[in-house]
Amino acid sequence: MSSKSTPATPEGGIETSQGSSNPLSRKLNKILETRLENDKDALEALKALSTFFTDNNLRSRRKLRGDIERRSLAISEQFADAFSVVTDQLDSINQDVEAMNNSCQDMTKRLELARDQTSDLINKTTDLQKEGQRLDMRARVADAFLAKYQLKPEEARVLRGTRDGQLQENFFHSLTRIKQIHNDCKVLLRTNQQTAGLEIMESMALHQETAYERLYRWTQGECRSMTGDSFEVTLLHCKAMEALQDRPVLFRYALDEFGTARRTAMVRGFIDALTRGGRGGTPRPIELHSHDPMRYVGDMLAWLHQASASEKEHLDALLRLASAQSREEEIQEILSHITEGICRPFKVRVEQVIVAEPGPVLLYKLTNIHKFYRYTIGQLLSKEASLLATLEEMEEFAQKVFFNALNVKASKLVDKVELPPADLGPTGSLTQTLSLLREILTSHDSSVVSMDTRQADFAKILGCVLDPLLQMCSLSASKLNPSDMAAYMINCLYAMQTTLSLYEYTDQRLEMLEAQVDAHVDTLVNEQASFVLTRVGLLQIYSIAQQHLTTEGPLSSVHGMDSSSVRDGINRFDSFLGSPDSFTMPQIKLLHSTTVREKIHKRAVALICSAYELLHTAINHPANDYTEPGSIVKRTPDQIKSLVS
Amino acid sequence: MAAGPYNYSYIFKYIIIGDMGVGKSCLLHQFTEKKFMADCPHTIGVEFGTRIIEVSGQKIKLQIWDTAGQERFRAVTRSYYRGAAGALMVYDITRRSTYNHLSSWLTDARNLTNPNTVIFLIGNKSDLEAQRDVTYEEAKQFAEENGLLFLEASAKTGDHVEEAFLDTAKKIYQNIQDGSLDLNAAESGVQHKPAAPRSNQLNTDQQPGKEGCAC
Repeated sequence: MSSKSTPATPEGGIETSQGSSNPLSRKLNKILETRLENDKDALEALKALSTFFTDNNLRSRRKLRGDIERRSLAISEQFADAFSVVTDQLDSINQDVEAMNNSCQDMTKRLELARDQTSDLINKTTDLQKEGQRLDMRARVADAFLAKYQLKPEEARVLRGTRDGQLQENFFHSLTRIKQIHNDCKVLLRTNQQTAGLEIMESMALHQETAYERLYRWTQGECRSMTGDSFEVTLLHCKAMEALQDRPVLFRYALDEFGTARRTAMVRGFIDALTRGGRGGTPRPIELHSHDPMRYVGDMLAWLHQASASEKEHLDALLRLASAQSREEEIQEILSHITEGICRPFKVRVEQVIVAEPGPVLLYKLTNIHKFYRYTIGQLLSKEASLLATLEEMEEFAQKVFFNALNVKASKLVDKVELPPADLGPTGSLTQTLSLLREILTSHDSSVVSMDTRQADFAKILGCVLDPLLQMCSLSASKLNPSDMAAYMINCLYAMQTTLSLYEYTDQRLEMLEAQVDAHVDTLVNEQASFVLTRVGLLQIYSIAQQHLTTEGPLSSVHGMDSSSVRDGINRFDSFLGSPDSFTMPQIKLLHSTTVREKIHKRAVALICSAYELLHTAINHPANDYTEPGSIVKRTPDQIKSLVS
Repeated sequence: MAAGPYNYSYIFKYIIIGDMGVGKSCLLHQFTEKKFMADCPHTIGVEFGTRIIEVSGQKIKLQIWDTAGQERFRAVTRSYYRGAAGALMVYDITRRSTYNHLSSWLTDARNLTNPNTVIFLIGNKSDLEAQRDVTYEEAKQFAEENGLLFLEASAKTGDHVEEAFLDTAKKIYQNIQDGSLDLNAAESGVQHKPAAPRSNQLNTDQQPGKEGCAC
């Protein structure tokens, strides 16, 4: 139908030119021109037709249309059936979708509603969260603050301590913390947190006080228990002393407590060493040697020295952490205190020894050993220590008793003067005293005292002994004739000289003695010379010749000076020249010192020679009117000199 | 730790004896300072030094009394033997006279110390081999006859110095261990510091009484 109404088709265009006049022919043409083999629809239709149009008969030809329509109907019905299911299903889907849609819309509405309702809440939550964070931050700040400015519970617990008063290692850590906090508070005070700062400071101060109190109690108790021979200075003790330094009063008290404990211990140790000795008796108790004063006192002093050294070590150990400046002074002070206790028992014993007067030599040795230990122990203790004072006191006491003993001996010498023996040698008391002096000076040599003190001591001792000795000698010599006296004195002085010359620091005394000897030597020289001249009968001639003045006229005219008398004398003088030794005075032979003897001899000879020379000159002088002077004095003075010397 | 060397359990007291000039003070100085003192002055009376050593894991403080060798100090030094746990007897291997005097030193040491005192013979100046005057064998035999420990040492080079002091301490410690040295004796020359654990914690038994005490 459509082709009829559309003449604009190409075929139609062509056909209009040929047969537009005849629609039938056009139609026919069209049919004829239709090429069935190209028409797929037609082919399909024909194929389908062939399936059921199997018998080409009339009936079938007639009924073809019906058949086709029937078939078409059937197919349509089938189609309709099939589709009705689909429709049903679609319907149901549609329903579902609508239901979904409804519920979705419902939900949306409800969500919107809910959102409207919760937005407020959310805002609030956000706010709260922010607030929470802020608070969290503050909490952290606060925690940090607390950590810095407050003690942790366990720290506080450590400071409070346990019931039994024990001190734990971390006590000092806590104590440092408190101090740190206290210091840190000063920073707080500079900020606007002054109240907090003040409060914390206050509470820390409180903590600190209790802590120090406790520390002191503990240290006090510890120190008090250090009374044994052996005790340990632990690190804890040292730390305690170090910490206590911040509280000088408590520090001092604790040290005092230590000092008292050690003082007791030292006294006990001393008494034990004196009376008990070691277990089983070795080493033997010191008092066992009390019969030997030197050993007894020496052992005690050595014990004191060693104990002082040990105590010093203990103190050094205890205060090793304490700052250096306070240390030396404190140590010395406490050391003085510790060693003070020993003074009395020591002093009592030494006094006993000294009072028993063991003789000057021992007393002197005791003085010196005290002197030595005063120096030795003085290197450990300060000058103010009473132990040193006691040592000095004992030294002075021993020295006093020593000099007393010497003085007593000396005054006995003077009181009971012995007569000089016939040989004019030193008396028994002199030799005894000198041997005592020798013993004293020798013991000094073995002592351990410094040079200066030794020199001063020597001077004093020599004064103490020699002066009375000299006095005694002079007294006992007073009844003798001059020659005997001179010889006796020379012998005594010589004995003193030989004793002294063995020791140092005696030069001055020796010089003095030498001078005295010289005086007596002069006497003896004169005596000897006059002795010789008397023996040969020239003494008077010599003295006249000596005193004669030329104004009195010639010497030969003086009475007793005539040629024959003079010649006689000179001739007798020859006998002296023959054997000079037989003309020596007996006193000179008794002299102990050969040097002095020779000296006297020489000087006497010189004196005699000069006398001869004087006579020789006088006789040969023409004014003296001697006839043949050469026959009177045959020898020249030089000849005489060479003969006798 | 600064306090380390102070924690010791025992104090041993030593005495060093021997003739003048054998090097007693030098040995002590070498031991305590680990240095040789070239021109050492004569000791006046006695001097002392300390050092802490370790024996079998125990810290021991040695308190060493160095005596003067000069004869004139004999009376003084004699008093220091009392209560020594160890005696170091020194002679000079280059001077025979110092060796010959040993028997008198030994007599002193035996008489004045307790029977447990460990006596150690030291032949000093072993660095002067060329000038040797006393043979090692001879001194060794002397030591054995008298039951002494013996070493030749040199204070100058430090050779065997440490050993001499340590061996003495070991012997003393051994005596303590086998009970022949009685620590409770007043003058054993050894002081025992009671408890090493006390270095951290106090003895509880000392405390209770003190706590309540208000002073």
